[in-house]
Amino acid sequence: MRKNLIITLALVLVIALSGLASAVEITVWCWDPLFNIYAMEEAAKIYKEINPDVTINIVETPWDDVQTKLTTAVMAGQLNTLPDILLMQDNALIKNVTNFPGVFYDLTDSGIDFSQFADFKVRLTTVDGRNYGVPFDNGTAITALRTDILEQAGYTLEDFTDITWSEFIEMGKDILAKTGYPLLSSVSESPDHVMVTLQSARSWMFDENGNVFIANNEVLKETVEIYVELVKSGVLVQVPDWEQYIGTINRGTVAGTINGCWIIGTIVAQPDQAGKWGITNVPRLDKAPNATNYSNQGGSSWMVLNHSPNKDVAVDFLKHTFAGSVELYETILPSSGALATYLPAGDSDVYNEPHPFFGGQPIYADITEFAAKVPAVTYGVYNYEARDAVAVAISQVLAGWDINSALREAEETVKFLMGP
Amino acid sequence: MTRRRFYRFLKYLFLFIAALLSLFPLVWMAVSATNASVDVVTGRLLPGKHLIENYRKLSQQANVKLAMVNSFRNSIVATFASLVVCSIAGYGFEIYHDKGKDFLMRLLLLSMMIPFAAIMIPLFMMVGKFGLLNTTTAFVLPTISTAFLIFLFRQSARYFPSEIIEAARLEGMSELGIFFGMYVPIMRSTYATAGIITFMNAWNNYLWPLIIMQSKDSIVMPILISNLIAGYVTDYGVVMLGVTLSVLPTIIIFLLLQNSFAEGILSSMK
Repeated sequence: MRKNLIITLALVLVIALSGLASAVEITVWCWDPLFNIYAMEEAAKIYKEINPDVTINIVETPWDDVQTKLTTAVMAGQLNTLPDILLMQDNALIKNVTNFPGVFYDLTDSGIDFSQFADFKVRLTTVDGRNYGVPFDNGTAITALRTDILEQAGYTLEDFTDITWSEFIEMGKDILAKTGYPLLSSVSESPDHVMVTLQSARSWMFDENGNVFIANNEVLKETVEIYVELVKSGVLVQVPDWEQYIGTINRGTVAGTINGCWIIGTIVAQPDQAGKWGITNVPRLDKAPNATNYSNQGGSSWMVLNHSPNKDVAVDFLKHTFAGSVELYETILPSSGALATYLPAGDSDVYNEPHPFFGGQPIYADITEFAAKVPAVTYGVYNYEARDAVAVAISQVLAGWDINSALREAEETVKFLMGP
Repeated sequence: MTRRRFYRFLKYLFLFIAALLSLFPLVWMAVSATNASVDVVTGRLLPGKHLIENYRKLSQQANVKLAMVNSFRNSIVATFASLVVCSIAGYGFEIYHDKGKDFLMRLLLLSMMIPFAAIMIPLFMMVGKFGLLNTTTAFVLPTISTAFLIFLFRQSARYFPSEIIEAARLEGMSELGIFFGMYVPIMRSTYATAGIITFMNAWNNYLWPLIIMQSKDSIVMPILISNLIAGYVTDYGVVMLGVTLSVLPTIIIFLLLQNSFAEGILSSMK
């Protein structure tokens, strides 16, 4: 009797333990409930049907906090406090992979087909030829314009499509004179605008070998000159911070903006302006040899942590969702505007739906088409340092410095920060 | 007479402007909590009708109740623990005599110069190794004894008449009895001051809970607010409502203990 009881108990224990062993929890750090977190929740639903034993535990963590926690955990040697998957800003991806070797899982041979993603995006998640991130949100640059204001001055969206910067500034001055509206606004001392233009001409602040390429970079010089001309002509107004930048768009004190396509979320927040917006590609540089009308601003990718005991499950999850499910992208697009860099999703009918806020323009199909043409550049390890240095150079030039000496000083600063 | 009136006018004008400058951000915060995001960024300064909608959105996006409960638990435990530890230490530093005492105090004050970020990583290693992640204990431990509070209590103990202590000892009262029976009741205002400061610091602490609170269930208010502003699109009405809710407890506690607070600050500065 007693023996039977023990055997029964042992059996119950074994069954219970095996039940525990097959249930896997994947922890994910990401931010933005309306965008990334929502997308992750939908992905979890899709994967639940493929592998019901896996639950996805999303811990809301803003980007700055992801970086702080990641750095602290690695430096303290407490890798077990890190999640299985985290969302990484593309601007910081190479730096984190390089500074923390072995922390991120190399996805190159994981079976994920990276050729299905926009080229420029794959480049941003590749370090030394190895893939470290599953590309996610799309930062393809757009020019969003108030078609009603353009009309007042006798222009159409068409006039702003496939144009050069000198044409843009010419029309901008005319619109300013006729209507009083500047075309653009931007946060002063933010290098974002210059970075968008720089990437549109397949140039960056580092060359292929990772050396600083600022002082002698003719494309960068042309880019800064254009920014200065935009500010001096009044076609672009500078505002002190991001909130005020959003304010110029929502208040309707500017006739447009150039930014990553995620700015659409901000534009549609002002219902009074419904039907008065249109989007097109960005102006290209006049002189630069590789100038195009396409660029990128911002964006992030999913990374798997190497220490994770369930990294195989984490990879399988990403493979079946963000890197393999058109259905996922179709679900998340309408309510979040989360645009894919997963190219097969672009053919879906959902992407070709006209958008009422933008006068019926099928903006998502347009942006996906732009995304395929964005020039690929490598941001490099010291991307943030270089961005900051160039931002300083821009304010110096605006204050009357000679452009060559400002860029030379920026180059020296970055070299100093990189060390010998 | 007119000259005096003129000076008084100037004085009130100055005070009015100073009050306006310090109150405006608070008023703006509360007003913005009732407005839609678009109204906030377009500079609306009048109360709006979006308070309920903002609250609905806030509770959809974040678990405010959980964060409030966690913040309260952590802050109250931290406040009580550090009041007990620091007041005993401060009292001891002043009342008892030892030749190493002043040197030790100086060493302690020196620790105020070290920024928290510098000791964060070793602290995190310890907490991680002890298996204390996501716990109130981990939240409280690094702040349980602070040089500032010990110094504050020491300064107050300086004005605690030593004759009374001598008399009490002669009467046969124990040292702990003297501390709890006589020192603590007299030093109520110092406790109030120290309590407000500690509660506020614990309530607003961001970096430490960010590192140690790894699970969703241990979220605290400052992290909840940080989460609200992380997106591509920020709903400023919702953020301002979150901020308003987050500062309310400290404001209420301050108002309740306001008189003692002023008294406590004065007595330790005498």
